[in-house]
Amino acid sequence: MTPPPLPAGGESPPPAPPLAVSPARTLRRLFLTLFLRGRSARGLQKAGVPRSIGKKLFWVLFIYGLMGFMALVCANQPVFTLSLYLHGMTLVFLGMFVAASAGEILFNQQEADILLHRPVDPRALLWAKIAVLVQVSLWLAGAFNLVGMAVGVVVPDGGWLFPLVHAVSTALEALFCTGMVVLVYQLCLRWFGRERLDGLMTTAQVLLAITAVAGGQIVPRIIGRFGVVSKLATDAWWLGLMPPAWFAGFDDALAGGGSHNSWLLAGLGLPVTAGVLWLAFGKLADNYVSGLQMMGETAAPRVSRGPARRRWLDRLLALPPLCWWVRDSVARGSFLLTLAYLTRDRDMKLRVYPGMAPMLVMPFVMLMQGGMGGFGIAFTGAYLGLVPMLALSMLQFSQHWQASDLFRAAPLAGPAPLYHGARRAVLLFLALPLTVFFAVVAWLMTGRSGANLLLLLPGAIMLPLYALIPGLGGRAIPLSQPIESAKSAGRGLRMIGVMFASFALAGLASAAWQTGWFAWFLLAESVVAVGLYLILRQKVSLARWSSME
Amino acid sequence: MAKPRRLRHKGGAMISLQHLTKQFGTQTAVDDLSLDIPAGQIVGFLGPNGAGKSTTLKMLTGMIEPTSGNAKVAGFDLRTQVLEVKRQVGFVPESGAVFESLTGLEYLELVAALYAIPPDAARARIRQFIAFFDLSFDTLTDKLLGAYSKGMRRKVVITAALLHNPPVVFFDEPLDGLDANAAVGFKALIQTLAREGRTIVYSSHILDVVERVCDRVVIIDKGKLILDGRPDVLVAEHQAGTLEHLFTQLTGGGELERRAADFAKTFRP
Repeated sequence: MTPPPLPAGGESPPPAPPLAVSPARTLRRLFLTLFLRGRSARGLQKAGVPRSIGKKLFWVLFIYGLMGFMALVCANQPVFTLSLYLHGMTLVFLGMFVAASAGEILFNQQEADILLHRPVDPRALLWAKIAVLVQVSLWLAGAFNLVGMAVGVVVPDGGWLFPLVHAVSTALEALFCTGMVVLVYQLCLRWFGRERLDGLMTTAQVLLAITAVAGGQIVPRIIGRFGVVSKLATDAWWLGLMPPAWFAGFDDALAGGGSHNSWLLAGLGLPVTAGVLWLAFGKLADNYVSGLQMMGETAAPRVSRGPARRRWLDRLLALPPLCWWVRDSVARGSFLLTLAYLTRDRDMKLRVYPGMAPMLVMPFVMLMQGGMGGFGIAFTGAYLGLVPMLALSMLQFSQHWQASDLFRAAPLAGPAPLYHGARRAVLLFLALPLTVFFAVVAWLMTGRSGANLLLLLPGAIMLPLYALIPGLGGRAIPLSQPIESAKSAGRGLRMIGVMFASFALAGLASAAWQTGWFAWFLLAESVVAVGLYLILRQKVSLARWSSME
Repeated sequence: MAKPRRLRHKGGAMISLQHLTKQFGTQTAVDDLSLDIPAGQIVGFLGPNGAGKSTTLKMLTGMIEPTSGNAKVAGFDLRTQVLEVKRQVGFVPESGAVFESLTGLEYLELVAALYAIPPDAARARIRQFIAFFDLSFDTLTDKLLGAYSKGMRRKVVITAALLHNPPVVFFDEPLDGLDANAAVGFKALIQTLAREGRTIVYSSHILDVVERVCDRVVIIDKGKLILDGRPDVLVAEHQAGTLEHLFTQLTGGGELERRAADFAKTFRP
């Protein structure tokens, strides 16, 4: 390569003036701001952007801090058990957070266009991003463990050293967790290429998030009910396979009973963490550089088994009873659109499935307690009404909301046919499988009695009715609103409303079951449900477009 | 599929705006706009940023309601027959937004469903567009729209606007992202469509294309109509040389060249 011509006189060009702020620090600030403010704020009014990032962060940490109070269930346990619980939950929460954020932070398509042509070393980009991930992880882990650290002072073999040791082990765990997620990304990129990276990581993120959310709610209840924690011993060989046990061993070795096994676990955890960090942030960093460069290419995620899935869906829709149920061409289009987003769209999957997971804990807990004489099964059926309500509410928000101009430009008097298509897709592909799943769980957990499953019917009858509620007033048009306009307060109120209705319905159903009036109850409920359904459906159908101001 | 309604409007205006006004709060985006556009005409709809072009197009496609005034599109009243109006128009929005998690084919089939085009007819029509735009059917069935290049996505959006064979078509920056060949093909297409009696409203900032393609230009600024006529006649009347010069002259951009020259001096060492 020929060097650029020197200026006249053969002098070197003057050196660039020193920057006031180092590029690394600038990049860290940039990524932290983008992360806290949310990249998807683009396209919103200025008023919609969070005014104070610090305030937002404070509330996030406050909520994590509140969740930390769950550590009180281990107040009578030894240090190892308390620490195992704390590290287990921390890993779940951090894993969920890092997995959900890493894809967007590490590989952002727009960012390649914005930054890759700047005089910035890609490795410096990686370091800045990792620094932000680690920084936020440490804040979250710190907030969550605050109460646990105090509890560690008063547990039987604890003491004043525990908070200090636990702070170190939590920091190590945060590093391990971030390193693992980054490592998985790097390995996926190396082995599968960018084309398959998005799909793979989305699936992993969704599964992890669901596990974390549901696990975070169910595990403490299991602990409370079965006293699992008290049975844990440090001599179980399989503890060596669990990363939280390594860090719990570290705590126990330095600030607890200090058993031989705890030292072994701590000795296992430290080199593994170091190895993960070396691989993720050092050895495989070159993959990141080439991965970033590939982002700029138009090589693209293909639809996995696209044509096959489409033919399968098309065939399914052409067969009775689906072809009778989804007759209208607009509803059919909306049905397919909804399914496409529920199965393919990364953002949608990351919001809908983990968003619904915590709602499903309640019936699970009821069933775990043996069905409570039929009430639990009836409650489960009734509570499943939340599934279509929540899913349809969440489906209206999408990153691609501007494309919904298409609906308004089309010759449709109102959004009803679009809503009906989305509603049917949700009923068929979310509500029905979940009802079957809970029927199986109920059957397994309540003495394998098939007759008891009839108690799910009162809830199942109400499902189509619940599914109409989000569409009242012409709302809940699929993919029509920016994500930033999603408000969770309304969702919370609806959830409480459905919970009360479910309690009432379940109470009536189980009373009718025990007194032998169940068949008559079902008949009466069906008549009422059909009447209400017709009224609500009429209201949904009469809704007209509101003006796009 | 909607048929062109040339006979219905023989001798009359295909698009007729009567004192069309749109206000957002206290701001007037479109101010008392009155205009008649006959069938078979290609009208360049011009104006600087924020002039009210996109708002006018959104009103004429039934997407937003006028604050006052009215319009008729293909003989249908915008206020009382908005559904009929929507059946008669095709619209390529400037944003070019699509549902990126659908494949191109799925997106076009969704659009066909919204216009109640039977699936077989829709598929056949889509194949015609694929051939015209030189798209690969495999790409259209295999890849999600989010993965398309800007030009490919624009071709899909144009196809979506013309799929139901509308007699009136509104284009807002349609050439954005198209390569040179596709742009030439597209211009030939709209000229042919106009000869067959379809009415085209073409909004763009690429004024030399507008000058070559359009039979008439309408320039608005701050929501008001400031000029309307044949491009060659208007350019001659104002002794502007080109439509671009005329446009900058009328919309306060006349000083731009001098200001650019002054600013360029600041780059000198």
